[in-house]
Amino acid sequence: MIPALALVLGVVLGLTLEPTVPAALQPYLPIAVVAALDAVFGAVRAQLEGIFDDKVFVVSFVSNVLVAGLVVFLGDQLGVGGQLSTGVVVVLGIRIFSNAAAIRRRVFHA
Amino acid sequence: MTSPTPPLGQDGGVPTTSSPVSGDAPPRRVDGSMSLLVDMMTNTLDSAYAERAARRNDPGSAPAGGTGPVPRTVRGTAPPLLAILLVGVLTGTAVAQVRERQEAGTGLRAELVEEVRERTGESEALAGRAEDLRSEVDAARQASLGAGAAGQALTDRLAALGLASATTPVEGPGIVVTLDDAPSEAPLDPTDPRAATGGEGRVQDRDLQDAVNGLWAAGAEAISINGERLTVLTAKRSAGGAILVDLRPLSPPYVVEAVGDPSALELGFLDGPAGRRLTTYTSLYGFGLDVRRADQLSLPGAAVPDLRSSSREGSS
Repeated sequence: MIPALALVLGVVLGLTLEPTVPAALQPYLPIAVVAALDAVFGAVRAQLEGIFDDKVFVVSFVSNVLVAGLVVFLGDQLGVGGQLSTGVVVVLGIRIFSNAAAIRRRVFHA
Repeated sequence: MTSPTPPLGQDGGVPTTSSPVSGDAPPRRVDGSMSLLVDMMTNTLDSAYAERAARRNDPGSAPAGGTGPVPRTVRGTAPPLLAILLVGVLTGTAVAQVRERQEAGTGLRAELVEEVRERTGESEALAGRAEDLRSEVDAARQASLGAGAAGQALTDRLAALGLASATTPVEGPGIVVTLDDAPSEAPLDPTDPRAATGGEGRVQDRDLQDAVNGLWAAGAEAISINGERLTVLTAKRSAGGAILVDLRPLSPPYVVEAVGDPSALELGFLDGPAGRRLTTYTSLYGFGLDVRRADQLSLPGAAVPDLRSSSREGSS
């Protein structure tokens, strides 16, 4: 419950405060969001399976965002940034969907 | 009679159920070559969760210095909450940013459209003022030349020159030649006729040049296209899909008005090479071509060109 509230509070904060993102980091923001969402879904699934761990979540969250950003940054430098971000989004999207399916099975037993 | 034969497959032959292979090597998976994809689809949960859980349940296997089970404390739950808050802030910021960018785009566009409208209005007002000033100049010149014989001669000369240089408005009978794109062509975007792509059925700048030259040859005294008076210096050329007359893009139909003797003009134009070619195009490409006489045409005067050289009368 509290994590959900924290998530909503974060969204509201981001929407209202509109923190200025450095122009150099702007292309990586959407990728970072997808990577972070992947970590969150993984955490929810782990919680439901009873193996949630604070440290793993925080570390996976931070590393997910950093690695996704790094991969896209590298792609930008190599001239294939668009393709690489598509790849990152596809992989993370598959993970999000499978985790969401696992969560659904746990919650609704269906 | 024949004895009943046992049904196929039950005659004590080879057993059909395959028993597990008792070899040393594990059975090769059919999709072994796609292990990366399979791995990606099945192992979606970070394996670190399972490892940590296993270590917690079995402290003995924890490496030396391992923390073992972590007690749930405020310090323990704060980082995940902070991380989740960060996720929210990231998402919100990204959404806000995309919205801002969209707004900036549409705002800029609206601003540009507004500016174009404003400038167009300004240019029209200025053109009207130029017209007024020109008639004022004409009146002043008329007054200063006086009514004497010399003055009258000069006035006549000015009128003839004005007609030749197309700077004075002209009224009189003549013919109207209307050229139009073939109906099969997509209509031009009125806001940006230059963006159009030319097809075979489109009127080209050459066709307009042809028509105008044919009209001059047929004895036209003054010609205008879509209200743009043609002078000897007027260029008719295409830019993209649009035809520019004096750098102003026109959109079809192109109405070419020519002042002169109507019957002579019509005959001369249709019988001339230009008229014949355009008539051929009508049947070949589906051009719209319409020639009709008009009793009363009024063509505007063209802008007075910049003065480039001058000399005293009689000094040369």
